[in-house]
Amino acid sequence: MKINTENLKEDMNTVSKIERREFLKIGFLITGVFAGGTVLSLASNIRGAFASTGEFTEKYPYKPHYSMLIRQNLCVDCERCIEACTKTNEVPSYGYRTIILEKVVPDAIGQKREFIPVLCNQCNNPPCVRVCPTRASYKDKNNGIVMIERKKCIGCKACVLACPYNARYFNEEVHAIDKCDFCFDTRLSKGEKLTGCAAACPTGARKFGDISDPNDFVYQMIHQIEKQVWVMRPEAGTKPNVFYMKA
Amino acid sequence: MADESTSSKKSTIVGELARSINPTLMSDLYSNVIEFLSGTRSFYVLLVLGLLTVFGASVAGLDAIRMGYRHAYGVTREISWGLIISTYIFFVVTSTGLCIVSSIGHVFGVKNFMPIVNRAVFLSVVTIFAGFTVIFFDIENPFRMAIYNAISPNMTSNLWWMGTLYGAYMVFMAIEYVLLLLNNHKFATYAGLAGLISGIVAHSNLGAIFGMLHSRDYWYGPYMPIYFIASAVMSGCAAVLFFTWVGYKVNNEKMDKPMERALEAVSKLTILMISVLLFFTAWKVITGLVGAPGKQAAIMATLAGPYAVNFWVFEVMLGMVIPFVLILYTRFKNINVSFIASAMMVLGIFFMRYDLVIVGQIVPAYHELGINDVPALLPYMPSLHEIIITIGGLGIVASAFLIGERVFRGHKDSGVH
Amino acid sequence: MDKKNIFLFLIILSISCLAGPLMLSASDEVSHGGDIIYDKPVKAVLFSHKVHAEDLGMGCDSCHDGIFQMASLTVQKEADFTMEGLSKGKYCGACHDGSMAFDSDSQCARCHIGVKGYDRAQGIKSGE
Repeated sequence: MKINTENLKEDMNTVSKIERREFLKIGFLITGVFAGGTVLSLASNIRGAFASTGEFTEKYPYKPHYSMLIRQNLCVDCERCIEACTKTNEVPSYGYRTIILEKVVPDAIGQKREFIPVLCNQCNNPPCVRVCPTRASYKDKNNGIVMIERKKCIGCKACVLACPYNARYFNEEVHAIDKCDFCFDTRLSKGEKLTGCAAACPTGARKFGDISDPNDFVYQMIHQIEKQVWVMRPEAGTKPNVFYMKA
Repeated sequence: MADESTSSKKSTIVGELARSINPTLMSDLYSNVIEFLSGTRSFYVLLVLGLLTVFGASVAGLDAIRMGYRHAYGVTREISWGLIISTYIFFVVTSTGLCIVSSIGHVFGVKNFMPIVNRAVFLSVVTIFAGFTVIFFDIENPFRMAIYNAISPNMTSNLWWMGTLYGAYMVFMAIEYVLLLLNNHKFATYAGLAGLISGIVAHSNLGAIFGMLHSRDYWYGPYMPIYFIASAVMSGCAAVLFFTWVGYKVNNEKMDKPMERALEAVSKLTILMISVLLFFTAWKVITGLVGAPGKQAAIMATLAGPYAVNFWVFEVMLGMVIPFVLILYTRFKNINVSFIASAMMVLGIFFMRYDLVIVGQIVPAYHELGINDVPALLPYMPSLHEIIITIGGLGIVASAFLIGERVFRGHKDSGVH
Repeated sequence: MDKKNIFLFLIILSISCLAGPLMLSASDEVSHGGDIIYDKPVKAVLFSHKVHAEDLGMGCDSCHDGIFQMASLTVQKEADFTMEGLSKGKYCGACHDGSMAFDSDSQCARCHIGVKGYDRAQGIKSGE
């Protein structure tokens, strides 16, 4: 067995200075593109990610405060989460509650591909709930999940337009808007501890937790100054409960 | 306002109402029916055509309910509001505009505007009704709406305010029209004022449905509610010029001096409102060219992208610039030219509403991430069902207008008091 | 056409079928197995013979038949063809250990092309 090992070394430690400079240049050109979302500065990191301390706890006193952490670089688009979600929540073929976005950056060094799972962000400040004329969409007072009372849904689709995350669709089978509810109806309310997608994820890219509990894994992961944590579309001011980072 | 009247005042209202219903009313109604039956052949051809489109739209609408809107309409998960919503907005903008323009004469007492009042009020009821009819075929569960709008209201929802106030508005305007027919101008004015206030609040809330979507850069901001009111007045002017001219043709009559002066006054208001709208549109475009990438992408789609023809040809040229030049060139005096200008405006305004609704949705949610397989701008094409329902809505307005011209004898009862 | 001619035709056909690839490999135009797409235990992983053999200049005997069988996808049947197995130095992990080549524990989506990549390779249009 003869292998030219030098050619195979592509760890970033062995990348030449020029290559590294190139990489930084790309990084500057498309900041946020690599991260897969808008990177928060450290100051907003604390405000955005430390969603369970200080004024946040007073303003959004959910117990448990359900949350999901997406460790973006661990996602390999095996789509077992989507399969599990579809099966658990009887999602019709024309709809989805969660999806995985694919991004290819041809001029990146090394890995050129990235998968970004997206789902309802269960926002602390949900635009969909504000626009609903009949309060069919509401934020659960106990656990902060954005839920739908199907019988009240008039199907005006204002919430679909209001959502910055394309998380909603009209479900013909139940004749109401459908969206991710962290599997509250199908799993959490029946004693399960995880959402269907998080339970099915083989890599740990999706971590489900409770950010009102300091011993919780998600709580601990997102409360670290040295870790870059971000949320999707922070400019929309929705204060999401789905966080992103790289493991 | 009328609601604040005391019980003693109420008895006066009843008394006056009773007095205004005089014995000649029945014979009037009878002669109205005779009048209606004595129309020309082309009148009946037009009316039958109008009613046929309404029938066709009813069939298409019921078929869409049977199939499910997802199959029948061109709307998607990403572009959930399509042609039918934009048509609804077209109708309610026109209705609100007609109400505002009529109120200048009837509520605020500007004499020049009096002759157009009856027709404008009648048409404002007709257009809002047409609007409600088309949106019936876009709301998935309209019957739930009737229940839960009342028992589970969301006071922070612009949609709730819009729907509720437009419901009240339609009632007020209908009452105003009945009182106008009864020659009870005092209470008609109260009803008109109530209609005006509820209409303006409802309409600015319709603008705010879009303006308060803070994740939609193209719409977000205080611009939309303000723009909606300004463009309602412009639409109202165009509708008055258009329908008054056609009304006189249908009745085969010559306009008298007060009516000509009224249309001249409306033409002047039209020029003012086109100027305002041109100003609004220009600054919408210019401010959109800097700032949020999503907004830039949408603005560019209207300037040089798939919506450029809609924008430049229909919105800008037909909707504003050519009518502006035509009316100004004839110095407001040529009623026929004003009519042609107004017809162009009505067409242009239809495209304004369409672009306003669709272009706000064409930029994908995660556009800034640079996702694969997602087009830079999402496509939307209205389906046949949507188009037929839209034409049916126009058919409702056309048929009701034609019937109204005959039954109410060219709406000539106002302006003499 | 009589039987003799058909027989002759079949012989010529089979010879040309066998000779074609042999001649190609002799002329050294395609000297590797192209793209191998594993769909188990997860969909899906892309192994590029072009990158390894052409771009990096590795010989066939680097992997065949020691780490991988010549027949493609045979390794999928193994129970330890998992990330855990790889980190123990099996299969891809023989080289992808962080010193010889980038670690199999890093840059996941460099090899994992996902269901989307799999469908694209199979010519399946992505659904909703």
